[in-house]
Amino acid sequence: MSQADSQTAVSSPGSSAGALDVLKHNFMQIWQVLAALALIYGFFFLMSEPFRSFDTLLSIFGQASILAILACGTTIVLISGGLDLSVGSIFAVVGVTVGIFMAEWGLPPVLAVGLGLGMGAALGALNGTIQVLTKVPAFIVTLGGLTAYKGLAEILASGRDLSRFPESFKFLGTGNTVPMLIMFAVALLTGLFLTKTRLGSRAFAIGGNEEVARLSGVPVAKSRIYYYMLGGLLAGLAAIVEVAKLNFAMPARGQSYELYAIAAVVIGGTSLFGGRGGVGKTLLGMFIMQTIIVGLSYMGVGTSYQRIAIGAIIIVAVYWDVWRRSTR
Amino acid sequence: MTPQGDSVQRPLVLEAQGISKHYGGIVALDDVDLTLHEGEVLAVVGDNGAGKSTLIKALTGAIPKTAGVVKFDGVETQIDTPTDAKAAGIETVYQDLALVNEISITKNVFLGREILRDDWLGRWFGVLDFKKMDGEIRDLFSKLDVRIADIYREAQAFSGGQRQAVALSKTVMFGKRVAILDEPTAALGVRESKMAMDLVRSLKDHGLSVIMITHNMQHVLNYCDRVMVLRLGKLVAVCDVKDVDGDALVGLITGATDAGATA
Repeated sequence: MSQADSQTAVSSPGSSAGALDVLKHNFMQIWQVLAALALIYGFFFLMSEPFRSFDTLLSIFGQASILAILACGTTIVLISGGLDLSVGSIFAVVGVTVGIFMAEWGLPPVLAVGLGLGMGAALGALNGTIQVLTKVPAFIVTLGGLTAYKGLAEILASGRDLSRFPESFKFLGTGNTVPMLIMFAVALLTGLFLTKTRLGSRAFAIGGNEEVARLSGVPVAKSRIYYYMLGGLLAGLAAIVEVAKLNFAMPARGQSYELYAIAAVVIGGTSLFGGRGGVGKTLLGMFIMQTIIVGLSYMGVGTSYQRIAIGAIIIVAVYWDVWRRSTR
Repeated sequence: MTPQGDSVQRPLVLEAQGISKHYGGIVALDDVDLTLHEGEVLAVVGDNGAGKSTLIKALTGAIPKTAGVVKFDGVETQIDTPTDAKAAGIETVYQDLALVNEISITKNVFLGREILRDDWLGRWFGVLDFKKMDGEIRDLFSKLDVRIADIYREAQAFSGGQRQAVALSKTVMFGKRVAILDEPTAALGVRESKMAMDLVRSLKDHGLSVIMITHNMQHVLNYCDRVMVLRLGKLVAVCDVKDVDGDALVGLITGATDAGATA
């Protein structure tokens, strides 16, 4: 059955199709990725003694969680046929801004978090709006955003000591558990958004064939702006969790996060060309990536080699996507 | 056979006057008039590049027209976007642009007109009412005798004939007055073509008037009431199908015959 990556079953717990059928269809879509994850986990399990502990497993989830929150946004944007290279820099801006709100202005954490999320959403929406108005390709607009937002974060942070935040705020980054719970909550909401709502389900149509969507009366431009806005919002949320975890904010954070997020989304099986995918796949992709990173570290392989390994896997994942498209 | 002859007496549904479309200096469509009567099937024929697709795209707001007026039930109607056309009751099946391959049949049928749940989830979060949409699709498909086993599968999984049947069903579900079809049998085999054309004929029974682009003269003669011929962006003839035969039409299309346009 080659319909392995359609999103249809997830989205249609229909009256006639039984719950078991839906479950089976969903499993058929992701079993290859699940098998890959199991193989990779098994490999490191055999190769490294300390890797076998439950704490290691927990730390894989914990370390994956911040990037995974951001990658949920990337999933939406990629499904809609878009691309946002600037989310790593949005991450930096929001981290620094939230830091300033609390460390310098003394705003209560709830307000700082709310404003930070608004900031992320606004920067994402700005990317989308510029694209829609100018018709400059997403790659270029968000490449510009990547640089410009990074500059903005540096300007905002310069000469400031952004650390020592209130306890109630730091709670968001407690251990592996709280970030992990936030990650699962975000993934669940993103999944519901993509499969159950009008705006979310239209992302698949726009990513699949923008012209058909337009001719069908879908407000393509407006929808796209929303997708970028959500991408920015989730980048902001990821930044907030990280700042809470580290207890400091600096503009260098978030660097290359957009690339790792895209990598996780693609490894999970969401198409880089739009129209297909899902947030559960993104989580699996993120776990695969994190398992490799943690596993290689336990085997004493350095960060530089880890990067090479991740790079190779990205190419394999995209090749797989291209191959699947050409064989159906 | 198709009922013929009485269509001219029926009231006009759609009337387009002086439709033109220029791309820079190139004239794709030059001052074309079109009339569509209640319950008729109007064929639009012409060679490649004659302006058939341009005409329907301009009519339905898919591309902006350079000049021209569209009247609906005798009232001038502004149709600048596909949404305007849908609001006026015109449903269009574009060639190669009917369905999104990647999404399910359900989602394709309701794309752009999804039904939301009638509660706070629907109102505040735009949550879809799958149950209602699935039910309406099943009713529609059984009414039109369209056989699609699994409406949750992505459109790509279906044959050309099935996909066309889905696209045509969409016009019945949403088209209140007019269905415009761009080569509904272009990519279909013989059996599938017949299926699709029978479906086109049944659109009439559902209260739709049909404009259909086609290259198939047999389809014009067997299924249509009137035919308009375009050549190089100009209207060269409009006639009742019962007054022409295949050879005469081909002559008009290629320019071998030069009949004065008859309305």
